[in-house]
Amino acid sequence: MEKITIPIGPQHPLLKEPLSLLIDIMGEKVTGGTLRLGYVHRGIEKLAQSRNYIQNVPLIERVCGICSQVHTTTYCYAVEKLLGIEIPARAQYIRALMCELERIHSHLLWLGILCKHIGLDTIFMHTWHDREMVLDIMEELSGGRVAHAANKIGGVRFDLDEDHGPMVISIINKLQGQIGKLRDMVMHEPTIKARTEGVAPLSQDDIRKFCVVGPVARASGVDVDFRRDDPLPPYDQLDFSVVTHTAGDAWARTIVRVEEIEVSMKLCAQILQDIPDGPIEVRASRRVPAGQVVVRAEAPRGEVVYYLRSDGSDSPARLKIRTPSLTALSILPKQLSEIQVADIPVVVAGVDLCIACADR
Amino acid sequence: MVQDIITDIESETGNDCQKIDSILNEQVLQISGEDLRQVVEMLKQKHEFHHLSAITAQILENDSDYVELLYHFWKGFGFTLLLRLKKENPVIDSIIDHIPGSDFYEREVAEMYGVKFNFRDGIPPLLLPDDWVDGPPMLTEKKA
Repeated sequence: MEKITIPIGPQHPLLKEPLSLLIDIMGEKVTGGTLRLGYVHRGIEKLAQSRNYIQNVPLIERVCGICSQVHTTTYCYAVEKLLGIEIPARAQYIRALMCELERIHSHLLWLGILCKHIGLDTIFMHTWHDREMVLDIMEELSGGRVAHAANKIGGVRFDLDEDHGPMVISIINKLQGQIGKLRDMVMHEPTIKARTEGVAPLSQDDIRKFCVVGPVARASGVDVDFRRDDPLPPYDQLDFSVVTHTAGDAWARTIVRVEEIEVSMKLCAQILQDIPDGPIEVRASRRVPAGQVVVRAEAPRGEVVYYLRSDGSDSPARLKIRTPSLTALSILPKQLSEIQVADIPVVVAGVDLCIACADR
Repeated sequence: MVQDIITDIESETGNDCQKIDSILNEQVLQISGEDLRQVVEMLKQKHEFHHLSAITAQILENDSDYVELLYHFWKGFGFTLLLRLKKENPVIDSIIDHIPGSDFYEREVAEMYGVKFNFRDGIPPLLLPDDWVDGPPMLTEKKA
């Protein structure tokens, strides 16, 4: 049988962001593939060197349109570490609250896309409706639905007032019922199981070899979550469980993410219950003492890494960003080999790619 | 733990390995570029360092004749291998056969800093266009 190479992307209905996939097929079987990034490369690492630390906060927020909060949280923490300052506990809790809300809406967005590719448009509509509720909370708190501008070097830009806690809790309670239904659907709906169970399995060995992180790794039984294993404050004060699964297939990746939504909702409630009173920022110098720091955090898609070097001026001498999508993309060609052509959308959607993140 | 690693590296390679307290949150060891593959293999086999978080390349302002490479590992704590290459001809051995996940990291370092990697069948571009002719963007003096 003749081998045919099909180009998918950079512009294609399957992809929500530009990515070039060259997929080799023989009949209905995929035999391999290569991929190419760079269609939304913005040169953010280079740009960061010509802006000062404060100007870089909104720049870093634009690394990703979905997990913008965790990027600014990691960046600000790295700068604060070099400055030798610790932000007030209240600000740490507000940052964590926004990160968990972000994780919920990111996972819901992903679940909707997966269901759309499976052909379950009704579940897609439901998940995106539920996601809107979370975006409403984030808008109410920060003023922004996806770019929240919540963080600043030395703290956060907004405080929670006395109405915010009950408002968030009431929406989270409402969401709880919806997520329960989604969970049941994912666990028992025959179409979802038929399209995801046993599809593109990854072993623990594959995960280790390709340095894959986040829900994809946890779905293969690799028990790593940087909120627990290398926590930024206040995660060291919070009580939560890390969701893992052993099957390693597209279905396990779905279950892990749905259960992580439930963990994040409990974390939001815990944060709002434990949040201390006090200031939300400390004064931070514009110039950052010379030094280097590496900070890791758990984004919705897994470990995000920031390396920052200061030469003592008001701009970074080097800022390196490694996003979790880059590791997920590196294993995608392997996942695509030996699957059916009809499974390509489920596999591509199943790893929850963010191309803007990977391109930077 | 780090002292054990230093001892193992020195006995494996026969070269000095220096501990550097330069990066907050991270244990840093400086090694010779030619020892990289040997050290990575030993770290994997003997100390179970499987997770390579990133490779950072950079040019230091006060030592601009060199490209500095930082291999950031993680195993419950951050651990970085630091090595320096001559900027005029930066060549280093690839570790893709030891850690396949380093593929994209190496490709990015190659196109952004002009570093050449041995032991690879070509290094296709990752982020830059196919017709890019202006050289490695991170080496340019132009401001973004």
